[in-house]
Amino acid sequence: MIEARGLIYRYDPDDAPVLEQVSLEIPEGQYVAIIGPNGCGKTTLVKHFNALLVPQEGEVLVDGLSTKDPKAHREIRRRVGMVFQNPDNQIVGMSVEEDVAFGPGNLGLAPAEIRGRVGVALETVGMLRLAKRAPHSLSGGEKRLVAIAGVLAMRPAYVVLDEPTSYLDPAGRERVLNVLGDLRQEGISVIHVSHSMDEIVDADRVVVMSEGRVLRDGPPRDVFREADVLRAVGLNTPQVTELMWRLRAHGCGVRQDVLSVEEAFQEISALIATGTGCRR
Amino acid sequence: MKTLPLGQFVPGDSPVHRLDPRVKILSALLLSIVILNAGLAESIAVTMFLLAAAALSGLSARRITEALQPLVWFFAILFCLHLFFTDGRPIFPALPAVTYEGLERGLSVTWQFVSLVVSAAILTMTTAPSELVGGLEKLLRPFNRFGVPSYDIAIMVSVSLRFVPTLLEEVERMKEAQEARGADFASGSLVRRLKKMATLVIPLVLCTFRRADELALAMEGRGYHRGPRTYLRELKFTRIDYAALFAVMAFLVGVEALRFLPV
Repeated sequence: MIEARGLIYRYDPDDAPVLEQVSLEIPEGQYVAIIGPNGCGKTTLVKHFNALLVPQEGEVLVDGLSTKDPKAHREIRRRVGMVFQNPDNQIVGMSVEEDVAFGPGNLGLAPAEIRGRVGVALETVGMLRLAKRAPHSLSGGEKRLVAIAGVLAMRPAYVVLDEPTSYLDPAGRERVLNVLGDLRQEGISVIHVSHSMDEIVDADRVVVMSEGRVLRDGPPRDVFREADVLRAVGLNTPQVTELMWRLRAHGCGVRQDVLSVEEAFQEISALIATGTGCRR
Repeated sequence: MKTLPLGQFVPGDSPVHRLDPRVKILSALLLSIVILNAGLAESIAVTMFLLAAAALSGLSARRITEALQPLVWFFAILFCLHLFFTDGRPIFPALPAVTYEGLERGLSVTWQFVSLVVSAAILTMTTAPSELVGGLEKLLRPFNRFGVPSYDIAIMVSVSLRFVPTLLEEVERMKEAQEARGADFASGSLVRRLKKMATLVIPLVLCTFRRADELALAMEGRGYHRGPRTYLRELKFTRIDYAALFAVMAFLVGVEALRFLPV
């Protein structure tokens, strides 16, 4: 479990805090989406999860280890893998497989063990075929997958991803999201920072951040029902939820908490079948 | 895709490709010592050695001359300097500056540089950069106790090599961004063009610092620490490597011994 308790952080002592009293618990195995407008403190928050930032007030515990203890940093970083926004700036190796081997090498594992882990990690993200390639010759989506594999080779219990689908084409985005689904299947916690509401509707839980605080925290259905709350802080809802909202505003009897195209289809076809139509 | 053309790795499966990188690095090092001390007989022996190595490595003559090409002017100037500025017996009575001794020095010094470049090219063309770094690291490892941080040097070198293509791409992007706003890098005198290039240097340096910052965070996040670490491939000498290293050393010692033969 990752626990943040009363977390306060400011980059500059004179500025307003970026994080103001954030408390959050993320149990092992949960798929958590963190959303919020730019500058709301999402990235700052997740950097606390693997001790890249240390709380100025409050504390962060990873499986009981406090990030304030420098001696625990190595173990915390092994347990909590972090995939940053720009894959170009986190690929260290001169080839795909060597990059994935970087983390295990830092752990001092034997070459045979490293080879095994590199194989499994590349298999998981579907990049085994490109193991020998140079990083700069890969597409954006492939680089992102290599960055994820590099983290997986550490056998983390939690993987934090900061906007893992930004700048990707639809195919690349699909591949990354599928890999995140696979991680979830394997029981790894995924902490997914996102700007796209549509890609997080399947999360176990959505945390909405605004101005350094947790604004809402709950299952996607509950969070997205409150479209007005989200809109007030500059966020939107998944497109189908938006559609339902508009239909209701039009006087149609559809559910508000619809998240998938499938559900929306059922609602609308029921509307047509019963012929009730909309009052207006 | 932009890369550095000089001595770029050519993937292959030749006997030279398969040698342990340390054998190749040490051979190139020893060879350069012999080259820099070579007289005529040694030169011939070393040239034959390089030709044999090139043939064994399966590199085409074209590849190797390509590595020499960017240095042609350097070789030419080097040769001329020695040809014209060495005292001795004139070859042509009308041109007293050009001497027999100058011709000999010029040929010998130019040959030395050509041989050094060729041996370095064979090394880098048959050894993947990562292997080269790995070999270097392992050769330096015994000096750890004297304060040589072999692991850190290896990371520094490999990260630099990794980012060369990325930074070249970045320069290209910045150039295009400035050209799109009317900058003109293609015309004007050499000095003017260099001056214009300055507008690329500042953003490039800033970008590189930002990258370095993020890279440091990412490396830390993946458990990086100074000092010992392990690798995907731990280099190991095979019998062939020992044999090859022995053969190269025996040959070079033999060549050096030629000097002491009464001719």
